[in-house]
Amino acid sequence: MDARTLSLPISTLNYRQPATVQVGTPVSAVIDIMQGGGFGCVLVVDAEERLVGIVTERDLLVQVSGQQLAPAAVNVEEVMTADPESLRASDPIAFALNLMHLGHFRHVPLCIWDDQHYQYPVGMISTRDILDHVAIFIENQEGDA
Amino acid sequence: MLYDQAIEEELAQMDKDGEASLKVLELGEIHVPLRYLMRPCVVIDILASTQDAIDLLIEQQIGAAPIVQDGILRGIFSERDVLRKILNQQVGDLTHIPVERFMVANPQTANPEDMLDTAILYMAHGGYRHLPIVDEQQHPVGMVSIRDVISHLVENFPQEVLSLPPRPVRDAMRAREGA
Repeated sequence: MDARTLSLPISTLNYRQPATVQVGTPVSAVIDIMQGGGFGCVLVVDAEERLVGIVTERDLLVQVSGQQLAPAAVNVEEVMTADPESLRASDPIAFALNLMHLGHFRHVPLCIWDDQHYQYPVGMISTRDILDHVAIFIENQEGDA
Repeated sequence: MLYDQAIEEELAQMDKDGEASLKVLELGEIHVPLRYLMRPCVVIDILASTQDAIDLLIEQQIGAAPIVQDGILRGIFSERDVLRKILNQQVGDLTHIPVERFMVANPQTANPEDMLDTAILYMAHGGYRHLPIVDEQQHPVGMVSIRDVISHLVENFPQEVLSLPPRPVRDAMRAREGA
């Protein structure tokens, strides 16, 4: 693993397809999706599938459990983080590391942009994807030793 | 002739400079004891209520905490447990249910003298986000998370990562287009 690795595009990692819900979805449905799919976060899109927010385990802990809200009585836009930082799958891995480190983000949405600069989610890169990449490096190095 | 020689010398120097500036992560850089990376941890008593445990995760801005009984590690309770076992479930009054019911018992641990590469393999293979660090008597003495691993990587690639703009260059181009 070296600086060249960090300049490789994020698409060389095994990033996941994002789970998405539309604005207006009850938080209880968001929780169902996260529990059923094992997702650590869900992206929130508008009616045109444009990214408007992200809901993480942390948001649910703080906004729902912390305030003892009833998930069925709250819509996703009330607990999401609006306008999350995002990247392109063609951006270097170093950009993802930079955002995760400086922004303390566990997940970074991967998007495509249209001419009006609206962004449409196509993937998700997480700190776990980076960790798994480093683990493969360690195993290869130890195998060579 | 002199010109050709000058070009060759310049190319050789560029190759040399290129090698020098190309940072390579050595196994030794992740073969460091966890005591250098671990963060102090806040522990939760096994008899504490689940709501108190949730409130502590929020107040301390942490994703997980060790659960102890008489100071000995018995489990770990994380925001993932809240999502998977509590939210949308009819579990009852969390102020009266001990956190023991929702914790993960007997979690994978490491010692302060264990190496970071070992911890990374534990986390990758076990799917753990947090690794409690314990002493020989199984008292929690710290915690290492995936975030700590990311921070360590960034510190080892400071030039390549920390010198980046907060956003990719295309955003600067976009701002110029919009002006």
